[in-house]
Amino acid sequence: MLISKKYNKNRKNYSCPAFSFDLTLSSASPLQLKLQTNTETALYFFYKNTRSYFPLSLITRMISSLFNIFLNYITRSVEKDFRFCNYQLTCIFVNGKKSISTANSDSELQRLHQQFVAGGKLLDQNDGRMPKQRVALKNEMWTVKPLSDGQSNRVTFNLSPEIIYQIFAEKPAVRQAYLNFVPNKITEKEFWTKYSRAEYLHSTRNVVAAAAEAAEDEELSVFLKQDELLANEARRKIRRVDPTVDIDADEGDDYTHLLDHGLSRGHTKDVLDPIYEPYRRSFSQNLNQHAAVVLQGRLVDVELGDTRSVAEALAKPKQAELANEISNNSKGNLEKGLSDRISRMIEIEDLQGPRDPSVAPLSVKDPRDYFDSHQGDALNAFGDAGSGVKPLKISVYSGEAYDSLRELVSEVRVKGLSKPVMNPEVAFQVLNVLIQNISSTKHSLGKSPHDSVLDTLPKVPKDELLHHWTSIQELLKHFWSSYPITEKYLYEKVTRLKDAMSQVYPKLQEIKESVQSDFRHQVSLLVQPMLQALDAAFAYYDADVQKRSTKIQWSCVD
Amino acid sequence: MKFQIEDVTVYFPYENIYPEQYSYMIELKRALDAKGHCLLEMPTGTGKTIALLSLITSYSLSKPSNPVKLLYCTRTVHEMEKTLAELKLLHNYQVKHLGPSARILALGLSSRKNLCVNPAVVSAENRDSVDAACRKLTASWVRALAAEDPRVPTCEFFENYEKAASDAVLPPGVYTLQDLRTFGKEKGWCPYFLARHMVQFANVVVYSYQYLLDPKVAGIISKEMQRESVVVFDEAHNIDNVCIEALSVRVRSQTLEGATRNLNKMSQEIERLKATDAGRLRAEYNRLVEGLAQRGNLPISDTWFANPTLPADILKEAVPGNIRRAEHFLSVLRRLVQYFKGRLQTENVEKEGPVTFVASINAQVGIDQKMLKFCYDRLYSLMLTLEITDTEEFMHIQTICDLATLVGTYTRGFSIIIEPFDERMPHIPDPVLQLCCHDASLAIKPVFERFQSVVITSGTLSPIDLYPRLLNFNPVVSRSFTMSLTRDCICPMVLTRGSDQLPVSTKYDLRSDPGVEKNYGKLLLEMVSVVPDGVVCFFVSYSYMDGIVNSWHESGILKEIMQHKLVFIETQDVVETTLALDNYRRACDCGRGAVFFSVARGKVAEGIDFDRHYGRLVIMFGVPFQYTLSRILLARLEYLRETFQIKEGDFLTFDALRQAAQCVGRVIRSKADYGMMIFADKRYSRHDKRSKLPSWILSHLRDAHLNLSTDMAVHIAREFLRRMAQPYDKTGAMGKRTLLSQEDLEKMSNGVSDMLF
Repeated sequence: MLISKKYNKNRKNYSCPAFSFDLTLSSASPLQLKLQTNTETALYFFYKNTRSYFPLSLITRMISSLFNIFLNYITRSVEKDFRFCNYQLTCIFVNGKKSISTANSDSELQRLHQQFVAGGKLLDQNDGRMPKQRVALKNEMWTVKPLSDGQSNRVTFNLSPEIIYQIFAEKPAVRQAYLNFVPNKITEKEFWTKYSRAEYLHSTRNVVAAAAEAAEDEELSVFLKQDELLANEARRKIRRVDPTVDIDADEGDDYTHLLDHGLSRGHTKDVLDPIYEPYRRSFSQNLNQHAAVVLQGRLVDVELGDTRSVAEALAKPKQAELANEISNNSKGNLEKGLSDRISRMIEIEDLQGPRDPSVAPLSVKDPRDYFDSHQGDALNAFGDAGSGVKPLKISVYSGEAYDSLRELVSEVRVKGLSKPVMNPEVAFQVLNVLIQNISSTKHSLGKSPHDSVLDTLPKVPKDELLHHWTSIQELLKHFWSSYPITEKYLYEKVTRLKDAMSQVYPKLQEIKESVQSDFRHQVSLLVQPMLQALDAAFAYYDADVQKRSTKIQWSCVD
Repeated sequence: MKFQIEDVTVYFPYENIYPEQYSYMIELKRALDAKGHCLLEMPTGTGKTIALLSLITSYSLSKPSNPVKLLYCTRTVHEMEKTLAELKLLHNYQVKHLGPSARILALGLSSRKNLCVNPAVVSAENRDSVDAACRKLTASWVRALAAEDPRVPTCEFFENYEKAASDAVLPPGVYTLQDLRTFGKEKGWCPYFLARHMVQFANVVVYSYQYLLDPKVAGIISKEMQRESVVVFDEAHNIDNVCIEALSVRVRSQTLEGATRNLNKMSQEIERLKATDAGRLRAEYNRLVEGLAQRGNLPISDTWFANPTLPADILKEAVPGNIRRAEHFLSVLRRLVQYFKGRLQTENVEKEGPVTFVASINAQVGIDQKMLKFCYDRLYSLMLTLEITDTEEFMHIQTICDLATLVGTYTRGFSIIIEPFDERMPHIPDPVLQLCCHDASLAIKPVFERFQSVVITSGTLSPIDLYPRLLNFNPVVSRSFTMSLTRDCICPMVLTRGSDQLPVSTKYDLRSDPGVEKNYGKLLLEMVSVVPDGVVCFFVSYSYMDGIVNSWHESGILKEIMQHKLVFIETQDVVETTLALDNYRRACDCGRGAVFFSVARGKVAEGIDFDRHYGRLVIMFGVPFQYTLSRILLARLEYLRETFQIKEGDFLTFDALRQAAQCVGRVIRSKADYGMMIFADKRYSRHDKRSKLPSWILSHLRDAHLNLSTDMAVHIAREFLRRMAQPYDKTGAMGKRTLLSQEDLEKMSNGVSDMLF
């Protein structure tokens, strides 16, 4: 059997390294587990010399250790985004489980695998299109403020690596100047002193003074002049803006851009001598540029601290963007995207009729989610009564996990592997146990499958409970989404739903009664939230019916 | 849905329709039937555009023998694109229901800059303007040269278009500017000239106001349009200003210097021509003697701006003898420029009428009124003779001739104002000579006369009786619609006091009061912490905005605002503003939230929508009065008082309040949308100011919201946002129908009528 799943999800600015695991368990090839991130590092675990097979328990233990190592590896590499990483891990595991459950009934998994991995179309092994991870920047502007201690005219300033990053991102000319001047021409300290001097001059808004100083100092003039790189970038970007905000296009259209046409509109530009023109800079410009940079966020793989590498790293993505854009342009993707966007925007939503009236998308969730989220309460309610199983230690350091793995391997070496050969059913069971373990760790890492109240129940009521919860959830979802009732069919739908829901009550009661007395309390605890949810729906329904009956039907209105 | 309005079956691309859209269509149809003009005010956010398009196209479909053509004028290119996108939606719907017989041709038309696809022309490396670069490749003499010498570059797109000749047509469909460019690239035809050509055959043309109102542009683009057309001016609350602009010219000292350079270059050219190709000059002279100022059928690529005066006022006479010779004409222009230079050296503000101005020109430099009047045509002819392609470079001398022609043609409704410096910056000498038109009806008069129906519509046309007076026409229908709301989805408030209970205002004496600045800042700070997604602020002027933002920056309020949202700001640089807007939308889309600082009467206030999450709150800081000391404004006010008996104060308040209403009106787009509007100035609480707001805003302005301080406003905002987050019945439950289905409309036409309002 082959299980292979990759996960590659990108969530706005945040993303996490994509990783994949391949687990091969078959009678023909050796056991291998491959864990891989999108960076070049990959963890491979092979057991090559095994002609025979591992005992079930050993495999289970081994793989959970491996996962721990892997988890540690991941969390260490992207500590800051642990939350996201964690989130994505669980997604993988859930998907993994789904694939397994369908795999033995049909060949869908193989098809998926073909499509995603073997075809190499969507998820390449070295998927280089993965956007770089970005983190948020502080939305604060750096300014040079003269400290007026009343004694001297000294201006002090503080620069942190983060501020330097921000300055480089906001002012490409400064970044370029740094790469050009430091350290060959001037030292880093001199560089920043000059920069601060320039900023100070700007803050005084004295263009003439700025021009005078710039004339004497070549490096200083770079900071004082308008940012040529920024202007070029703006010219490039302007071609792909949303046409519904493109004021620039109007300029060319109305002919009023032509010189001296029409009247001055009350707000005159202040006229400057052309020699001072390059030194004019406005606070508004900085403000916009700052917000744009903050909106973009910071590349996470840029190490702050080393100023030079920061500057170089910032210069790089620009080129990549450029190349990207050219390829996009040639395909006309951009244009199509924009026109789609406009047509979406112009539609008046509430004039639209109901779309696809009778079908709301089904989303059958893992019913376990529900019990996992409630089991904490249930557990607290009756103490540790049901769980006699030792909780599994989940959070392990990589060293520890490695040790345990080594121990296991040496154990195998000493004892040899037991015969007879494990049959496929057993292997499948192993995986099921394993996956269950994984899926229940979704909500808190400290939970083991045995902590779940649900799993302590006998199989029949357990399955029934799960089944009922799935159906109740679905019914409720449709019920609530039908409100407010604005159409006739909605009204009919709600009535149907109500009938269906009222039939669930006796069934739940039946389950409660069918289980043995020692489980009954637990079951009723589990059932209670379901009942509450149903009750709430019924209460709302009744109130609404009442309101409707009193409402004036529309007829002739003044 | 489709429904019947009397004899017309209206196809409307949605399942439901707002009652006011239905009434709007009825009124519109009445005007079309009467072949008259109309004036319709309907609140923003009620789907005005689609109602208009839907009725007029359906009207045209129902009369296949004599279909009307629609000329739809927008103020900006992005509105043009939006209109065409709506039309596309409608067209798809109509074709789906009626089959291919409903096919129409609709296209947008813009300048070369927005339509050119030639990479050599539009590339960033090209320093020429698109216009000039295009002429360099497509002018008839350039192409004639290229026919002999293949090394002369031409534009392949234009050549292909010319080669295709009558085959170069656009198949039926709706074409946005983008679609035109794509089509042009595919076929290898120049989209600009193709569009210019197709305009005559199209059923719907969407273009900018100037293409009809500015005689210079209208003369070359709109002159072929048939009388059976419906002209729509959308968002027309500023139409009087556009009309005035179209006939006003200003000359600064830079213009005069440029003009002198132009004249030198032209005289060099004449000398060169005399030596090499004297026949050409002679041919021109002969043509002028025969009385043809304009050459007959010019190739489409050679057309220039037309005469700046209105078509009816252009003289069909021969050019006066003393300017027929090129060198004589140049010397006349030199004297004229010299005269203007002298006038600009004044130390006082001077104001005079066209008649005295012309008399003084005649007395001092000996150019009479008739010569002035022919300046523009004569210049045009000379530039063609000299084969000048760089239009941008020769803009200066064109401006001078514009002014001369206008001043020689019109004796009333204009004045000449010469100012040695800007009132607000008396230390910087910046002399300017302005020919100001005061009469908005002049420019629009030919439009009213030429076309059978002209529709003037906007969200803010209050008071609606003022527009017929300003534009001097008699509408057959003039109506203002209110908005039927399912829920109170707009929440206007008047904030008169800051958090310290002191009054806030941008009135002259309070304008630079640090207390007011601080109170305004605190208001915004409180609001950004309460309101999700986008917040838009409008200020009364650029200088005021710069000042207050700087002071917020220095006092740290801006820093605190940034804790909640990103801050973007409108600048006078359009590229920068466009990028800021794009980023602002992105920030709202991704949930980061942002504030946009903008200026009333600025480009952003003119036409950018801040609907849905792009604007949950608009704050109008102050009352956007015009700069009242401006000489031009004073002259216009005087004219209005004398001609229309409109009081100065009334006009100023009307003008300020329409701008304010325009700013806050951008916040809502449909009834499913919601937004708040804060008028932050104590003067809004006065009845005479407030009552000038459009009725759809006034009807939601509760008495309790007329005199708020910051803390109360924040409280109201919280409540409002919570209320809006609740689900609601879109069809309008509490007795009033705010959404009609096809069934409802059928019921209504079968008896129960007039149930809407």
